Amino acid sequence: MNKIRKRYVPFMKAGVQSLIIYRMNFLGFIIGGLIYCFVMFYLWRAVFDSNGGGMFLGFSMTDMVIYLFLSNTTSQLTFSSVSNDIGEEIKDGSIAMRLLKPVNTDLSYLFNELGGVLLKLVIFVIPMILGLEIYRYCVTGTIMFNAINFLLYVLSAILAYIISFRINLCFGFIAFYVKNLWGIGILKNSIIGFLSGSLIPLAFMPEVLRLCLEYMPFASMSYTPVMIYMGKYGAYEILFRLGIQVVWAVLLYGLSKLIWLGAIKKLCVQGG
Amino acid sequence: MRRAWKIYRLLAAQNLKRLMEYKADFLTGAISFLVDQAIGIAFIFIIFTQIPQLAGFTFEQIVFIYGFSQIPKGLDHLLADNLWCVGYFIVRKGDFDKYLTRPINPLFHVIAETFQVDAIGELVVGIGLIVYAAPNAGLHLSVWTILLSVIVIPFSALIYTSLKIMTSALAFWLKSSGFIIQMVYGMNEFSKYPTTIYSFPVRIFVTYIIPFAFTGYYPALYILTGNNPWFNIGGFLLSHFLSGTREYHHMKVPVHKIL
Repeated sequence: MNKIRKRYVPFMKAGVQSLIIYRMNFLGFIIGGLIYCFVMFYLWRAVFDSNGGGMFLGFSMTDMVIYLFLSNTTSQLTFSSVSNDIGEEIKDGSIAMRLLKPVNTDLSYLFNELGGVLLKLVIFVIPMILGLEIYRYCVTGTIMFNAINFLLYVLSAILAYIISFRINLCFGFIAFYVKNLWGIGILKNSIIGFLSGSLIPLAFMPEVLRLCLEYMPFASMSYTPVMIYMGKYGAYEILFRLGIQVVWAVLLYGLSKLIWLGAIKKLCVQGG
Repeated sequence: MRRAWKIYRLLAAQNLKRLMEYKADFLTGAISFLVDQAIGIAFIFIIFTQIPQLAGFTFEQIVFIYGFSQIPKGLDHLLADNLWCVGYFIVRKGDFDKYLTRPINPLFHVIAETFQVDAIGELVVGIGLIVYAAPNAGLHLSVWTILLSVIVIPFSALIYTSLKIMTSALAFWLKSSGFIIQMVYGMNEFSKYPTTIYSFPVRIFVTYIIPFAFTGYYPALYILTGNNPWFNIGGFLLSHFLSGTREYHHMKVPVHKIL
């Protein structure tokens, strides 16, 4: 344990430091997400108005607001830029420095990012949840905050982050083969945005598609924690969903290890 | 002018060669922008399975506005994509010096350096959606509406480029401004839907401050209704002229700062 701390905590510190140095970027990232939420908020408000108010496919407008903002927040929390980092390092060759160090490659990337995740949790996610609860209180007149759901949300969000990290790691290792990740990165982000339900709640999708998507790892990345927080699942269903998350986390861990074993033999740096 | 054109061609050719090196990347890039658009349309489609009209617009009309908004976006993406790199890492890594040592305008050089073929994805989808939606959207077609809406497209693209120049230039002070570009650029989401769905302050904001509404909704509305050409087209030219000159000076100042 001590060895791990000594080896990996510096990676974490470096991650947090670079986040603080480029804090304007970090802020821009958060504000950009919020702007997107507001566009969606107005769009949904128009949809609810056109629908004659009331419910839309089992969601009230209040539900929709919570869903929109919380799913955006959650996907930002669980967002992992490790695939871009790997892509950049392969392009400019600095990956060689990382491979030379006596550390586990995945863990060094994980700790690089972990500091940022904690920072986001404290300065972004918790205030957001607070704000949403105040909103909900103003609209409905009752305090609907549920501490158990919140704790389950945090647990599920941690699993979501692990899944997101592993998926991005797998994507990043693809850079060993295709050299340049930029295009694939955009493809990946839009596919994840759609399949994870952060754009349209999966509940709104056609039945068959919804059932397929709910079992895919993408749904675990923001949809599951948000639905748990909103209390849309019963006790058994929560256990079941968390179970799916655990299974995916383990499977993706194995997959990323497997790709790594193949990829490391392929490393070729073109130098720009 | 001729010299600039010659340099532009040389740089674009260089760029295409680099693209051939990363062939798979070009393909995935173009495909990914296509997928991105398809998802946007799927979203509108799912909404319209439940309601007949959104803020008084039919499905075809919303698709038309959406498609129209993608063309200027794609044009800017095709021609001025390198500004993203200025914001993200060119300044931070010290590579901006390269542009300052050459005997051409640095801003021109930055823009001419990349010719981003990925943008084909957006352009194809934009044109495709317009062609799909046009017969049923109840367009108000006349020589004027067609002519003005074609003329307006390059200027709409300049709104994007101007905003990108302004925000990428912030990197001279902040070292890296990529996410600020992302933030302002991300507001183009507002241009895809009718501004009437937004609350009053937001509508003012996207019309007069970050004028993205002029890159999609207003010109598209003009073709749909034929009303208010002075506002829908003219107001836009004015806002474009103002922002264009402002952005250019904004870029000039910091370049001298790092010299």
